[in-house]
Amino acid sequence: MIEIMELSKRFKKVLAVDAISFHVAKGEIVGLVGENGAGKTTTLRMLATMLKPTGGTAAIGGYDILRQPGKVRGEIGILFGGEVGLYDRLTGRENIEYFAALNGMTRAETDASVDKLIRLLDMEEYIDRRVGKFSRGMKQKVAIARSIVHQPTVMLFDEPTAGLDVSAARIVQDFILHCKQEEKAIIFSSHSMAEVEKLCDRLVIINKGRIVEDGTVSELKAKYRNDNLEDVFVQLAGESNGN
Amino acid sequence: MGTKVVKLVFLKELKDIFRDRKTIFMSLVIPLLIFPLLFYFMGSGMDQSVKKIEENLKVAVVDSGNSSLSQYLAGVEKLKLVESSDIEADIKNGTILAALEIPETFDADIQAERPANLVLFYDNASQASQMAYSALTNIIEAYSKTVVAQRLLARDISDDLLTPVVIDARTTEDEEEGMGKLMLSMLLPLMLVIFSISGPMGVAVDLGAGEKERGTLEPLLTTQAGRLSLLWGKFFAITVMGLLSTVSSLLGLMISMRQSGGLFQGSAVTIEPITILLIGLVTLLLTMFFGAVELSISIYARSFKEAQTYISPLMLVSFIPTYATYLLDAKNIDTYYFHIPLANITCLLKEFLAGIYNVSHIAITFAWIIIYIVAAVLFARHMFSKEEVIFRT
Repeated sequence: MIEIMELSKRFKKVLAVDAISFHVAKGEIVGLVGENGAGKTTTLRMLATMLKPTGGTAAIGGYDILRQPGKVRGEIGILFGGEVGLYDRLTGRENIEYFAALNGMTRAETDASVDKLIRLLDMEEYIDRRVGKFSRGMKQKVAIARSIVHQPTVMLFDEPTAGLDVSAARIVQDFILHCKQEEKAIIFSSHSMAEVEKLCDRLVIINKGRIVEDGTVSELKAKYRNDNLEDVFVQLAGESNGN
Repeated sequence: MGTKVVKLVFLKELKDIFRDRKTIFMSLVIPLLIFPLLFYFMGSGMDQSVKKIEENLKVAVVDSGNSSLSQYLAGVEKLKLVESSDIEADIKNGTILAALEIPETFDADIQAERPANLVLFYDNASQASQMAYSALTNIIEAYSKTVVAQRLLARDISDDLLTPVVIDARTTEDEEEGMGKLMLSMLLPLMLVIFSISGPMGVAVDLGAGEKERGTLEPLLTTQAGRLSLLWGKFFAITVMGLLSTVSSLLGLMISMRQSGGLFQGSAVTIEPITILLIGLVTLLLTMFFGAVELSISIYARSFKEAQTYISPLMLVSFIPTYATYLLDAKNIDTYYFHIPLANITCLLKEFLAGIYNVSHIAITFAWIIIYIVAAVLFARHMFSKEEVIFRT
């Protein structure tokens, strides 16, 4: 579903992503793990065609990110951490519908998809009120619905639980598992090892733009003979930093 | 897909803007009220202060010979003669507005038909004192005329001798309307340029930097909508809001010109429909130009505040050619003015208001405006497609 081939990105003098390659299959959750500035967000932005790679390419649902960026964007849904990025003066429904329409859905398709998501995320009570006065958890649900309204086959999560309280983070985690059930290919970037261990089938650890490990949680634990994933990560990051 | 997305973005932005009471108040309500209020208070304030000074001209007369002139002055109703021991100091501190020194020999000089000298003190840095000065010179002029009339009468000569030529001035415009038109031809082009900058500003800042600051830009860019379609949708929404804001400012200006008691004293000016149409078209195009420039700056800025900081100099720079030409006389504008950015706009608007429709001036200015708009839109497109600009945080 997601095939990344020698993908690189250089910003002036900084090589943010250095020829990384990995793949994600249908129904698989791959954790993209690394410290701040390791290149996680840059990688996801290239996959979402927001940034142009300076080397290599990737294919999403069979579409090339360089040659068919529009088609690629139709296949992906993205959920960002931090600010939810909703329009405060629009209602929850209007926010979701706007993105559905921008993704080229017809009125009937939009209505069916939005109604389904409202029920799934239990938003009936407030969906027609303006988002400005929503709680963080309510906003998070609207943002989730918005990211998936056009029924993408691939989901990208960029530190989606950053800054969330426990219950709001739980909503996001449940949603990620729901996407897995729906057979979507998922990349999940995080620096919380506990979360990664809980959700991911496989881990890609990057440091300074390069992949330093790629394997399942149990493979990594066995390889480094350590049952604590966080210790493994710290060891790997330290090694490639030359410590 | 393209035009559909443009329309979608355009309608969404307008809905969003019209739900924002603050923006509606700032860009539609305030412009409507500001001129009527401003001109009303300026007009009534000026009226009152003029009346106050005119009815109370405090003047000191130092007359050592108790001349016929000082008796004449005592009979003038609006003068209030006061004593002063130190004329210059009293004028300086405003206790009196002016002072007249009449020499002892004044009456004798008049009798002997010699030039009689007077000394008039006033403060040329004070508006009130200057008014007193001109009132006094008028009164003395009138007094002189009575003296001349007596002298001529004594010689049995008609005073018609003094006015060999009589001028009957006739204006092409109704006198009041002419004044109004002159004011309008100076004020309106200047105002329209200012409105075209300030009208789209708030919305442009919101739709670029605001979108970045609220974190809505990135999700927007992940949709299938092309960046250019997003840009066009935003650009049209900004243009519409800019125009609405300008129309509201103009309505305010029109109301303020018609209100009695205001600065214009209700001097109604009638403008031909074709002139209104042409002025409207120029304003629309100018609003599009500034809207595109402001959107480019706004998308470059990291935050609302940064965008506002960057847009302010644009306003100042635009004022230079606009102010430089606002006193030009509409009937004598050289063609080269129509090649100077913004100066050409003010000059063309001046000509329209004066009823001049010079085809080559119109063609030159419109060609330039189209070039400005295309350049500004290309610049906005360039900014919108640059990664470093979009992700500048």
